[in-house]
Amino acid sequence: MLDAEKLLSDRWRHVVTKGDGTAVLPECGRPTVPGLVSERACAFYGARWMLAAIPDVIHLVHGPAGCAYFGSIVRRKSYRVFSTQLEERDIVFGAGEKLYRAVLEAVATDPGARAVLVYATCSAGLIGDDLDGICKRAARAVGRPVVPVNSPGFCGYSQAAGHDIAAGVLLEHFIGTGKAQEPIANGVNLLGEFDVMGDLREIERLLQQLGLRILCAFSGKAATTAMADAHRARLNIVHCRRTGQRLADAMQERFGTPQLKVSFFGFEETASALRSIGKFFGSAGVEEIVERGRREVEGAAPFLKKLAGKRVALFFGASRMGTMARAFAELGMEVVMIGSQFGCLEDYRDAGARVRAGTVLIDDPPEKELEEFIRKHMPHLFVGGTKEKYLATKLGVPFLVFPQETSCFAGFRGFVNLAREVAGLVGAPVWRLAGRLPEI
Amino acid sequence: MRLREIPTDGIPYDRLCVEKIPAAPEYIPRDPELVPASNRSVVINPNRICMPIGAMWAVLGIHRAIPFVQGAQGCTTYARYTFCRIFKEPATIATASFHEDAAVFGGRKNVVEGIRNLVVRYWPEVIGVVTTCSSEIMGDDMVSFLKEARARLSREIGKEKVEEISVVLINTPSFAGSHVEGYDRASRAFLESLATTRDVPSERVNIIPGMLYPGDIREIKHLLREMGVGGTILFDISDTLDAPLNPPQEIPYYPPGGTPVSGIRQMANARATFALQPHAGGSGARYLERKFGIPAFIGPVPIGVAATDAFLQNLSRITGREIPASLRDERGRLVDAMADTLHHTMMKRVAIFGDPDVVIGMTRFACELGMTPVAVSSGTPSRTFEGEIESIFREYRELFLAEPRVFNGGDLFEFEEYLKTLPRLDLILGHSKGVDISRELEVPLVRVGFPIYDRFGYQKKPVVGYHGAELLLYEIVNELLDYRYPDDRTQQL
Repeated sequence: MLDAEKLLSDRWRHVVTKGDGTAVLPECGRPTVPGLVSERACAFYGARWMLAAIPDVIHLVHGPAGCAYFGSIVRRKSYRVFSTQLEERDIVFGAGEKLYRAVLEAVATDPGARAVLVYATCSAGLIGDDLDGICKRAARAVGRPVVPVNSPGFCGYSQAAGHDIAAGVLLEHFIGTGKAQEPIANGVNLLGEFDVMGDLREIERLLQQLGLRILCAFSGKAATTAMADAHRARLNIVHCRRTGQRLADAMQERFGTPQLKVSFFGFEETASALRSIGKFFGSAGVEEIVERGRREVEGAAPFLKKLAGKRVALFFGASRMGTMARAFAELGMEVVMIGSQFGCLEDYRDAGARVRAGTVLIDDPPEKELEEFIRKHMPHLFVGGTKEKYLATKLGVPFLVFPQETSCFAGFRGFVNLAREVAGLVGAPVWRLAGRLPEI
Repeated sequence: MRLREIPTDGIPYDRLCVEKIPAAPEYIPRDPELVPASNRSVVINPNRICMPIGAMWAVLGIHRAIPFVQGAQGCTTYARYTFCRIFKEPATIATASFHEDAAVFGGRKNVVEGIRNLVVRYWPEVIGVVTTCSSEIMGDDMVSFLKEARARLSREIGKEKVEEISVVLINTPSFAGSHVEGYDRASRAFLESLATTRDVPSERVNIIPGMLYPGDIREIKHLLREMGVGGTILFDISDTLDAPLNPPQEIPYYPPGGTPVSGIRQMANARATFALQPHAGGSGARYLERKFGIPAFIGPVPIGVAATDAFLQNLSRITGREIPASLRDERGRLVDAMADTLHHTMMKRVAIFGDPDVVIGMTRFACELGMTPVAVSSGTPSRTFEGEIESIFREYRELFLAEPRVFNGGDLFEFEEYLKTLPRLDLILGHSKGVDISRELEVPLVRVGFPIYDRFGYQKKPVVGYHGAELLLYEIVNELLDYRYPDDRTQQL
C-alpha cells in the first residue's frame, strides 16, 4: 500500500508558493489528471465562447441535443441555436447528408444570415463525417460561406484549444475579406474583448477620447461586415492575451497590423494602456484623459477604506491573472492565491512578478484544491467562475464572479464599480450572520 | 413587455384593454414546409438535453455520491454550470477528461486512473459512472474497465476500503433519448445493482420522484409525514441540492442528506413503489415489481387536485392509512383559492411545454383551473404522451372551442411558430427556454419544469401536492393580472 502523499503526487508540481527571491512557476499546459472535478471545459465550449456573439451568422451545432442545448446559453445571453441533433441512426450510418440538408434548411429559415458556422462535437468528430467536404458543397448550394469549426470536445486539454480553433476560423474565413484596402487612420481592433456587462462600451468611450474608432472587437462586436474590414485598422489592441494573441500575430504577419498588449482593468493598467495607445497614434491630451480618470477613480475612495488589507484569492481563465492581481492590489487588497484553468508559463511569469512573496500560484486547480485553499486560508474574497461560486459561499467566503455579472469593470468607471462591488461583497452582513469572519 | 399608453380616465373597467407593441414588426412568415420539426433535418432551439445530465442529477441525490463522467471535460462543465444556475449550489462531478489519446485508444486509462484519483481524493461512498456519446461510440467496455479500476484500487488502498465503495454504471449515450431517459436509466441501474435481495419486508414505500426540484421533494415528504407513512426517496436532492450555509465544514465538502446506500438496498423490501414520473423513474419501479413483486404505481405526477388525490388514494389503499383531516384541509384551501380566482383563470388560452410528465401534469391542472390548453409540447418524444394528453382533453372537452394542438417531440422553433398563428394566447407555462418566445409573442411566461435558471426560488418552491398547486395558482393569477391590467391603479381582484 502506498501512503497518501504518494497517491496524490500527480498534482504537486502545479502548485507553488512565490518565494522571496526568484519566482518559481507552476507546471502548466498539461492534460488534466482524469477523475478530478476539473474546472476546465472542452474545445467545443471554447469555440462557442469565442464565436457565440457573432450576430449575423447561423450557429449550427453538429452533435447530439445536449451540446446544442448547452451551447445556446453562452456569456449570459440566449441565442437561437441550430443543431443536427444526432441520433442513433446517424451515429451508425453517418450524418453527412443530414448535415448538408440541415445547412440548407437553416439558411432557408434564416435567409438574412451572412454565413453558417458548423461546430463539430465529440460524436461528430468520432463518426468521421467529411465535415470540410460537406461544408464546401453546402456553401456552393447556399451561396455564402459555410465554415467548419472543427472543435470536438476532446481536442486539446481545455477550452483553450477551442479558442485557437475559433481564432483559426476567424482568420481563415472572416478577417480581412473585404475589398477595400486603404487603412482607416483612426481605426483600431480590440482582440480578446467579449463585451461582458458593458466593458466594451467603457473601453470605446476611452478610445473615443483619444480620437479612435473601434472597427471590430473579437468577439464582442464582430459582425461579419466589421470583420471583413478589420484589416484596415492601424493597430490591434490585445486585451485578453489568451484569446487575442494568436489573432494579433496572424494579422501582423498577414496585413502588417502592429499590436499592443494592454489591459483596461485597474487604474494603472488603464492609464498605461491609454498612454501606450496614445503614443502609438501620437495623440495629444492623453495625460488629461488620465487625469480625468484619476478624478473618476476617486469615487472608489469610500470603498477602498473597507478593503484595506483584506485577503483575496483569484482564479481566472488564463492571462488576466497578472493585470487583475494589480487591479486588486490597487483596491488595497492582498492577493494570497492566483490560479488559472489553462494559463501558460508566460501568464504565470507575468502574474508571479506582480504579487508578493508567499502568494500561492496554482495551475488548473480541481475543485478540491480550491476547497482546501479556502478552508486553510479563509480569504476575505474569492474571485472565479460560476461553478466555484457556490462552493466558496457554502464555506462562508464571499465570491465575485468574473467575468462579472452585474456592471462593467473595465476602464476608470469600471474600477469604481469593481471597488463598490467588492466592498459590498466583503462587508455584507450575511457573512456575519453565517457565523464566520469574526475580525470584520 | 412594452405597452402603449393606457388611458385610464373615462373608460369603464371592463373595456380596458392593453394594446401591445409587437416585438418583431419585421417578422416574415416562415416557409410552412420548414415549420414542422418532422420535415426538417435541422433542429432549431432544442427542447431537450442529453441523457448524461439526467443521470448526473440522479447521482447527486445520493448521500456522499459523486458522478464520474466518462467523456470530455465539457460534458461535466456544462452540466455543472446548469446545476449551479438552477440550484445555486456547488455540484461535484468528476470527469474522465477525454483528450485526443482517449479518442484514439479508448477510455480504459481514463477510467482506471480516474476512479482511483477520485477515490483517494474524495473517499465517496458511491460513484455513479455516467457514459457519454464519445465513450459509447468508441465502444468502451466499461464493465471490464471498472473491474480493472477496482483491482488497481485494491492494490493501492486495500480490499476492505474498496468494498465500502459502491460503483454503479449508467449507460447514457447522449445521441439517444434525453435527460429524462438518463434519469430513468439511473433509477434502474441503481436499483439493479444495489436493491438486489428481499429479506425482511417493511411497511415503507419507495418514491422515485423523477426530475423534481428540492421544494417538490420536501412537499412529498410532507405528504408522507401527514399520512404517517415511512418512505424512501430515491435520488433525494432536497438537501444535497438545497443545503444550508453552515460554515465551517469538512473538506471535501459533501452536502448533507441524500438517499443513503443502505436505504437503496432496503428498497427491495418496500410495500410499494411510487414512480411519480413514468418517463423518469418508471423503469426503476418496474424492475422492483418484476424482480420482487413490489406493486408499482407509475405516475401521474401529483400536480393539481386530481393527480394529488390519486397519489394519496393509492398511498392510502396500499398502506391502509386514512387520508388525514390536515390534508383534506390543504385540499380545501387549494380548491377555495381556485374558486376565488376562477374569473381570472377561466377560458384563458394557455400553451404548455417541457418534459413529458410535467407537461401532462400541468395540462391537467390548467384544465382544472378552467383554462383552455391550445398547444402542448413535450420536448422528449414519448409513446404514451399523446394518449395521456388526449384522455385529459376528452375529460375536459366542454372547455375547448377548438381542437388543442399536441406536439410530441419537436423543437421550440416549431412550437413558437405555431403559437404565432394563434388568434389569441394568454399564458405560457414552461421553463426558462421559453423566455424568448414569451418576449416575442408578448405573452406572460409562468416558469415551471426543468430547467429554470433565470429566476430565484423556483427550485425551493413546490408545484406538487395541494400546497404546491396553490403556489402555482398564485403565480398564474398574478401573471395574468400583471399582463391584463399592467396599470396598478386598475388592479383589484
